Amino acid sequence: MEPAPIPATDATVTRPGRRRVLRWLGGLTVVSTVAMVVTPVLGFLVPTRSGRAVAGGKVLVATTADIPAGGGKVVAMGSAPAIVVNTEQGLRAYSAICTHLGCVVAWNDLIGAIQCPCHDGRFNPASGAVISGPPPAPLPPLNVTVEGDQIFLSEA
Amino acid sequence: MSPDARPRRSPRVVTPARRLLRLAATGLVAGGLWFGLAVTASAEDPTAATGGSPAASPGASPAASSGTATATASPGASSSAAPLVSAPPVPTPIAHPPAGDTNGCVDCHSAVNDKQAEISAAWEASVHAGADVGCADCHGGDPRSDQITVGMSTEAGFLGTPDRTQTVGVCGSCHANVEVMRPYNLATDQYAKYWSSVHGQRLATANDTRVAVCTDCHGSHDVRKVSDPNAKVFPLNVPELCASCHADARRMEPYGIPTDQFEIYAGSVHGKALLEEQDVRAPSCASCHGSHDAKPPRATEVVDVCGKCHTATQELYEQSRHAQLEQAAPKCWTCHGTHDVSQPGPRLFFHPEDPDYECSTCHDLTNRTLRLEIDRFANEADRRCDTCHHPDSQIYAQVQGIADALGGAEGAFEAAGMRIEDAARLGMITADAEVGIAQARTSLIQAQAAVHTTKLKLVSDLSTDARIKADEAQAMAVAKVDESTFRRQAMIVVLALIALSVVFLVIIKRQLDRELEGR
Amino acid sequence: MATGQTAGGSRRTTRWLDDRTRLAPVLAAMVHVRIPMTARTWYFGGIALFLFGIQVVTGTLLALYYKPTPEAAYESVQFITSDVSFGWLIRSVHHWAANLMILFVVLHLLRVFFQAAYKYPREVTWVVGCGLLLLTLGFGFTGYLLPWDQRAYWATVVGTEIAGGVPVIGDSLLLLLRGGSDVSGATMSRFFGIHVLVLPLALGGMLALHLVLVHQLGLANPKKPEPRVRTADNDDEPLRPFFPHYILDELVAWYILLAVLVVLASLYPATLEEPANILDAGHPKPEWYYLAVYEMLKFLPKDIGILAPIVGLGVVIVWPFLDRSPEVLARRRKVVVGGATLIVLALVFLTWRGYVA
Repeated sequence: MEPAPIPATDATVTRPGRRRVLRWLGGLTVVSTVAMVVTPVLGFLVPTRSGRAVAGGKVLVATTADIPAGGGKVVAMGSAPAIVVNTEQGLRAYSAICTHLGCVVAWNDLIGAIQCPCHDGRFNPASGAVISGPPPAPLPPLNVTVEGDQIFLSEA
Repeated sequence: MSPDARPRRSPRVVTPARRLLRLAATGLVAGGLWFGLAVTASAEDPTAATGGSPAASPGASPAASSGTATATASPGASSSAAPLVSAPPVPTPIAHPPAGDTNGCVDCHSAVNDKQAEISAAWEASVHAGADVGCADCHGGDPRSDQITVGMSTEAGFLGTPDRTQTVGVCGSCHANVEVMRPYNLATDQYAKYWSSVHGQRLATANDTRVAVCTDCHGSHDVRKVSDPNAKVFPLNVPELCASCHADARRMEPYGIPTDQFEIYAGSVHGKALLEEQDVRAPSCASCHGSHDAKPPRATEVVDVCGKCHTATQELYEQSRHAQLEQAAPKCWTCHGTHDVSQPGPRLFFHPEDPDYECSTCHDLTNRTLRLEIDRFANEADRRCDTCHHPDSQIYAQVQGIADALGGAEGAFEAAGMRIEDAARLGMITADAEVGIAQARTSLIQAQAAVHTTKLKLVSDLSTDARIKADEAQAMAVAKVDESTFRRQAMIVVLALIALSVVFLVIIKRQLDRELEGR
Repeated sequence: MATGQTAGGSRRTTRWLDDRTRLAPVLAAMVHVRIPMTARTWYFGGIALFLFGIQVVTGTLLALYYKPTPEAAYESVQFITSDVSFGWLIRSVHHWAANLMILFVVLHLLRVFFQAAYKYPREVTWVVGCGLLLLTLGFGFTGYLLPWDQRAYWATVVGTEIAGGVPVIGDSLLLLLRGGSDVSGATMSRFFGIHVLVLPLALGGMLALHLVLVHQLGLANPKKPEPRVRTADNDDEPLRPFFPHYILDELVAWYILLAVLVVLASLYPATLEEPANILDAGHPKPEWYYLAVYEMLKFLPKDIGILAPIVGLGVVIVWPFLDRSPEVLARRRKVVVGGATLIVLALVFLTWRGYVA
């Protein structure tokens, strides 16, 4: 896309001073165009410094030792909080955002259920369904996969 | 209230003399001093006072409670302090020959006239028709016969329309019977509950037939299930149902009770949730007053009544200094009101200007004990911490500390929210900041709820937590806004470079065009 | 004349290279054509070509981070937009260049139509050009789904439903497009495959053919019809060189388009709605370039509403064979120009209606 070599810089038409300005301008055009294209492309190719090199798909959130049977834990799935619970039916995971007012829910060992600290909304750890309290809808489930002792979550 | 085992006494035998006797027997405490520190446990417990004959005059109590209420803390307090008249025994179901497949009553009545046809149709659409509860079950008579002289003769046990006093017994004869109700999985305590209600007590003690009986709420021929949205007792319809009598000034005039509860309730958070948002989980009249056992909650009960739904808040309140005051304690309604519960907010801390303090606001002048009267807090503008806590007091400073901590967190939360909106409006992806603010909201709501503990340290810790999280979310949003600004500045530079390139190309082009013309 | 000013070193390199490729005559033939002085292209075709180039570059870059599965697509697009440096720019430029490309392909078609440039001997060029328009629309349709947010998902649901309304083959077409009965991971896989593999190859090939034809036939003269037999009499057309004169103008147009893209990407970056939720339809709406058809379906019976655009497109494709008159001046083609203007206005009106609805 660079402009073609400047043709016919006829000395009878172009004064030397004007010619120098034109050359300078031509150089600037080429350099700036190349810079405008190359900078974002190279920048894009350089891996990001942020913690996650890739996003989406399965995210490693915990190890099986972190969540003993009958326990639960809020983990970070990318930037979103999720809750993993170890129920009698196996490991289950849900979005940890309460469906009532958007608070972050927590595991309550005493009642053996997922509980929102804001208004005591309680969710069934095996299904995410509302047991009691104000939440209007169940917690959206996430997919859990275990590889070795590592627990991965992904969008359902 | 369990029904008394004693033989049924007709309410009609209650003479004024008996009532006087009973009043004397239970003592003048029945007037409602139980909110004061001097009230004894026995007066608190209505079951302890149930003993003999129907007594006391609950008829006078509602009027008294809504009046000046010298020593009561709640509407209805005096009526609940009075001993209850026990429920009459459950009558046996009306006996009649089995109808079989025929229904002689409907055969004729559906053809008599429009009104009778309507009644027949209403019954056929009712839940009773489906459960084989027929005309004779309430009216007696012989449903097998299509002869008026046989089917509706007194010999056949025909009763006609049960009067309002009998109605409760007629319904109760089946509905209080565990064996009969088992297949329908229906409760059988409505009968006993009804007689314990203000309605039932008026009926029992004063034979006041203007009070609500079963049919007023459930209908007679057209009884529908509670889950039927067309039923008057469907949760969304309950406020209108109660208001149909209680908002009627003429009907309520003899009782001297207010008639604006429905209007006030409809404007409350509860009323809006139920009536406007049609959220069937929101409380109707019956949620706090009971339905069959309708009665205003007492001061000792209100925390449990509200706590039925507001479980987390109740738990926090129980930890508070307020809760320890027991009788003299400020309860839910002291700050939030009753029918007019509105969205709480920082306005609940202080009056805009210091109110006029009088000792009698909070103290019993005779013995200097603490004493809060619900009437003192009837006006929303008076439901403030500094209604009781004087600016010179230590507690006032603590309230200020709580208000400031919370205010700081709320301010940080709002500021972060606005910044995130700014960033989103600029087209930036704000997902991480939104997660941050969700965490801040969690802490903030906990901090706001922690006010119920009256503990400055807890509120200020949670507020600090909320503020830090909100500030983090705000920092993320600000970074995005800055990034957007940077992009726009970079855009100007790029546009300038492009403009220079275009100028260069145009100059070259013009040179070429001149050449072309020259040739 | 183009090589006159090259420095000694580069001249030596050129000679070395040419010695080993023998491409100089080909290049010279490609570049040294002359075009009628009266030709007015407004550079629409060239701009569409430029935008396609942009799409190839930005699309390739996006594919480095994008993950075409329903579980990961949304997050990966979010990651590109908010985490990868210049990711927002690449994605926004891809987004805006896609829209502008469709706009300029259509403008190019309208220019050719109103100037009657599709007439002898350029009928085949027109048909190939129509094919390019269809491929561009296919790019838009398949690309729109890829972010897997609410807007993408539901636009695809209603878009494929329109295809499902085609009489007789509708149901099979719907199944084929979606790769199942619903818009799902299968849909995403085939849309992605079509978007990054099938369409670029097809468009690249057809574009090459289109350009070769344009090169061979030259630009049409909007003032008078192409003579069937060239004689000295009718060959006195004033001409100007394609290179560098026309190319320079084209370059200026490209720079201006680049500026437009930078402004759009900076002020209105590509956004991302909530992740696709199959339970919450929201307000589904197809992309703006399908809105006219979508809106038409509200007025017309379904069969007619769906068949009309298909028949219309068919007529457009074979138009050079239907319109046999050699006239090129608008004032001598009043019915055709007037009719087309009315149709364009109607489509603009329907699109506007659909947009504000």
